[in-house]
Formats: sequence, C-alpha cells, structure tokens
Amino acid sequence: MKKTLFAILATTALTMPAMAQDKPKIGAAVYGLNAEFMQIWSAALEDHPAVKEGLVELTIFDGRYDALVQQEQFDTMIAQDFDAIIFVPIDIEAGAAAVDAAAAAGIPVVGSNTRVNSDKLKSYVGSDDVKSGYMEAKYVLDKIGCKGEVVIIEGPIGQSAQISRLEGNLKALAECPDVKVIEQQTANWSRAEAQTLMENWLTAHPDTIDGIIGQNDEMALGAIEAIKAAGLNVTDFAIAGIDGITDALLAVKAGDMASILQDARAQAQGALDVAIKSVKPDYEPMSDIWTTYSDMPWNGGTDAEYSVPWTPVTAENVDALLALRK
Amino acid sequence: MEAKQTIAPGTEARGGGLRRRLAVYGQKYGILVALVLVCLVLAVVNEYFLTARNITNVLRQTSINGILAVGMTFVILTRGIDLSVGSVVALAGIVAASLATTSSTAGVAGGPYPALLAIAVGLSVGMACGAVSGVVVSRFAVPAFVATLGMLSAARGLTLLYGGGRPVPELTPGFRVIGTGEIAGIPVLVIIFAVVFLIAWWVLSATRFGRHVYAAGGNPHAAVVSGINVRRIRFLVYVISGGLAGLAGMMLAARTGSALPQAGIAYELDAIAAVVIGGTSLAGGVGRVTGTLIGALLISVVNNGLDLMGVESYYQQVIKGVLIVAAVMLDQARHRRE
Repeated sequence: MKKTLFAILATTALTMPAMAQDKPKIGAAVYGLNAEFMQIWSAALEDHPAVKEGLVELTIFDGRYDALVQQEQFDTMIAQDFDAIIFVPIDIEAGAAAVDAAAAAGIPVVGSNTRVNSDKLKSYVGSDDVKSGYMEAKYVLDKIGCKGEVVIIEGPIGQSAQISRLEGNLKALAECPDVKVIEQQTANWSRAEAQTLMENWLTAHPDTIDGIIGQNDEMALGAIEAIKAAGLNVTDFAIAGIDGITDALLAVKAGDMASILQDARAQAQGALDVAIKSVKPDYEPMSDIWTTYSDMPWNGGTDAEYSVPWTPVTAENVDALLALRK
Repeated sequence: MEAKQTIAPGTEARGGGLRRRLAVYGQKYGILVALVLVCLVLAVVNEYFLTARNITNVLRQTSINGILAVGMTFVILTRGIDLSVGSVVALAGIVAASLATTSSTAGVAGGPYPALLAIAVGLSVGMACGAVSGVVVSRFAVPAFVATLGMLSAARGLTLLYGGGRPVPELTPGFRVIGTGEIAGIPVLVIIFAVVFLIAWWVLSATRFGRHVYAAGGNPHAAVVSGINVRRIRFLVYVISGGLAGLAGMMLAARTGSALPQAGIAYELDAIAAVVIGGTSLAGGVGRVTGTLIGALLISVVNNGLDLMGVESYYQQVIKGVLIVAAVMLDQARHRRE
C-alpha cells in the first residue's frame, strides 16, 4: 500500500519540476492550530502579498501538537517535491530529524517562531524569548520599585519558551537583589491551572505578594481572576504576561496587567520571504514587515537568524493593536 | 456468603467479631478516614490550611471536577464509562459563551443574550452529546469506551469548528455569576456543586430510577428479567453525564472569564479518578455518590496542600496515581470478602 502510494507520489513529483520552476510550492508545517497565536500566524502567512498575488503555492499543515505527525508531514512534502518548507516545530529536539530528511532531499527549511536544535536550517525568523522574559520581569520589578516578593508562573518545564523566558526572568531579577521569589511553579500555559495555583498562593502568602510574572498571557490572566475571586484589588499587584493575545490586550486596556506582544505576523511573513528567496535568487521581499522593523534588516535574505522585535503593549498602542484583530 | 456461615453458628469469639467489624468499617470508610487524616496533617504543618478562605478555595477547586465526577458515577454504576466529558466541557462552554459575550467578533449575532438562555443552551448541548453517546451504547451495543472515545474526538472537533479555534472572551456579568458570584460568602460554584450532589444522592438512594441504575449495573440480565428497561437506564445515564459536563463547562468558562477551545483536556481522567477513589466499582452496581464526593475532595485537598507548602506540582500527579491504585486495591479486597 505504502509503496504504491510513494510510487504514485514519485511519478507525479517527476512530472512537476517544470511547473515548480515558475510557481514555487511552499509548505508550512506548524505544531498545532488549536490556539490563538498559531491561528494569527497562519492567517498572516496566507495574507502575504506573494500568496495573494499567486506567485507561490502555499500549503499549511497542522501538526496537531505531535512530533510524529510533523515528521510524517515532512515525508509527504519531500515526496511531493515541495520547493521550500517553513517549520514551526512542537519540540526543539524531535524536529531535528525532520529537518535532516528535508535537507538530504535538497529542500531548504526556514524555522519560524519556535526553535529546533539543528544546524541544517536555512534560516530562523522568530523572537528571542530571553528578551521577552527579561522585558516582562523588568516591568514587574520597576513597578514594585525593585523590592518586595514576587511569584513566577512558568510554562511546561523543559519547553524551549519556558527555558528561555525563565532565563530572561532571572536576568532581570538578578538586577534587583532585594526582590525575593517566594513561589515558582508551572501552570502549563493554562489559565485554569494558573488560577488554582494563584488562589493557593494567595492563601499561603497573605498580603505579601507584590508582583506576578506569568510566562504567558493566559497564566497572567488566570492569576488576575484568582485575585478578583479572593476579593483583592488587581491594581495592588504588578502583573505581566507575554504574547499579546486578545484577552490580554483587553486586560492591558483595563489597566490590570502588562503584556509583551510577540508579532506572529512578522514571524510568518518574514519566514515566507526568506523561504521564497532561497528558491528564487532574484526575489525581493514583498511583506511590509521589513520597513516596519528597521532593527531587522533584510540583508539579502541570507542571514542565519532574523530576530523579530517584541512590542510592549501600552495604554497608548493597545487600541491600535486591538483594531488589527477585528 | 462465607461470612454468614461463619457468624451464624455463633461460635466466633467476640473480639474476633469486633476486629472483623473494624476491618469492614475500615474498608467501607477507608477513604473518608484517609481524607480526615490528610486534612489533619495539613492543618498541623500549614497554618493557612484550615482558614475559611482556604477551605472556600478547596471547595471552589473541587466543584468543576466534582460535578463531572457525579455524572461519571451514574455512568460507571451501569458498567459504563464516559471519556467524552472533557470535550463536552469545551463544546458546551464555548457555545454558551458565544451567546453571553459582549465581543462583536466572537459572539452570536444579536447577542449578548440573557445568561439563563445561554445556560439553557449549554445544558442542552451537553445533554445532546450525552444522548448521542447513550444511543450508540444502548441501542447499537457499542462498548461505552469506544462510543465515548468517539464523542471525545468529535466534540473537540466541533468545538474548534464552532469557534474557528478562537476563544470567546468578554462574558457578560450575568453569565459570570455561575463562576465568580457569591451568595452569603459562599461561591456560587460551590452552591451549584452542592445542589448537584444532593440531587444525585437523593436520586441514587431514594428513587426507583436510582435503584434501577444499581440493578442495571449489578446484574443486567436479572434486571431485564425483573422488568427493568435496562436500555433506557443506560441511555439516560449518558444524558445525565453529558448535561453535567455541559454545566461544568459553563462554570469553567465563567470562572476563568473566557471560553477556550482547549479547555477541559484530560478532565475525564480526574473525574474517573474521583469516582474510583470514592470506591465505586468499575464492574458496576456498587458505589456511592458520597464516595465520589470524598474522592474529589481528596484530590483537591492533596493538590491544595502541596501548593500551600510549595511542593513541586509533579508530586501531585504521583500522589494521585498512588491514591487511584490504592483505592482500587481496597475495592478488590472488599469484593473478595463479599
């Protein structure tokens, strides 16, 4: 069965190259489409001028949060002779084999959003999580005047974003020796889990918690709900999260928290520009993100890494950011 | 059987009888004893454990899993299982929330609608999911594990389709009452759970339907022979479980302030754990909803206590695992005796 399937795929692949020359086939393998961030990322990819004008043929694969599913999708893309692959892996280690297979078949792979531990990546377009971890912790520490007690709500232990964001958190904390981290625990990116955790912490440390560092927005929002449920005043706490999901933007607008926006659109469209460039040497980037972020120069599309800057969400820019979501 | 024979001749010494009775009580109330012991230990080692606020927290944290576990008790008593409750939590939550949101993008046109209407729709969605599982199990004789596994997948897919995979935020204050409201200092979440528990306890212990649930699970053939409509009972327990999952889903959305499509993942496992720890037999026909209440409380108390003491959350999972297996070992020992 499998053999015949591959045979068919191989024959179609052989008849394809002539077409592929004019219209590159680009696949995007993303770890999962169930959460808001990757949905925004995917929508931005489909909204890229090169896709809209029909210059490239784009297919998005939903990895369903499973490293094995992603691996199989790579096999499919290799068999179908895709010209380039944009890869958002679920796991930093498990994705390496998929990249190897594509590289062996001569297909360039451009990483985006989450890292993969492979030196075979053509390029990586993402945001540095250490920076965002530093920025959010810095916000909390500045607000409490560099002294007092804080808690850290972490992502799933061992995931690349948790590791890097914690590194950033600790870097900022090292600058405030008078601040004590009294609790540090994972809530697995989940709002409901963070809410339970925060309720229990508020009981264990009555009136002593000054700041809450949530490694993503969902968990910061869970902490806010716990504070409200305990009958306390949200504005008595310094609270920060990362990602800039819609609910968090609304909370920033209400003055409840701070958030650091991760620009999914820039990561997706930047990765596609780099991917097209790797197939068509005379290509010039079409997305407007290269003019938006002067800190991230195009450099001919050949850089090994493009670091998309983080944008702190403030009372001033929140309305404009919310308008983009409608 | 054997016990009767030994006791009937009256030859056994009194001390032996007492020890025996203690052993029986220990097995019957072991889980309650365990809960009391854990509470005592936590009260000694942590000064905040017995505060009113913490007790309120524990009850609040038990409510959602508790409601799922009550529904699960009905199903397991009939020898069934309902793996779909976590997905139904998400589906009912997001459908109800879309009717009760002020968001123009995530809501249903013309909304927000009154909270009671949204809740009625959410309950109906849950019951409809349960009804589908119930029909598949009772009419088409598909094993419950398979039928509800199918619903687990389908309801999650419908949740993502319905909301386009996006969360539904900005819920109306009226709707949020079921998650964050308080009456006389008691969270509405806890009040709803208490009402659900009391009704379930009454239904199972004092109504004909309750007796039929036990009969259908204990010995289905005998139940059929004695004129009980076992198919109907099997159908209805899934409707109950689905409806309660729908209720729990809306409470979760109201509590967190937003209905998320990824809500409720793996909640079925905690619900089953509470039922099993509470002494209800997976073989059907034996068990009590009071046991389920204690099982659910025990899980929450352990989680809460470890959080209070700052113990890493991974221990919570290990301890829950040990509790589940220990409870079933207790259950097996009781069966051998009977």
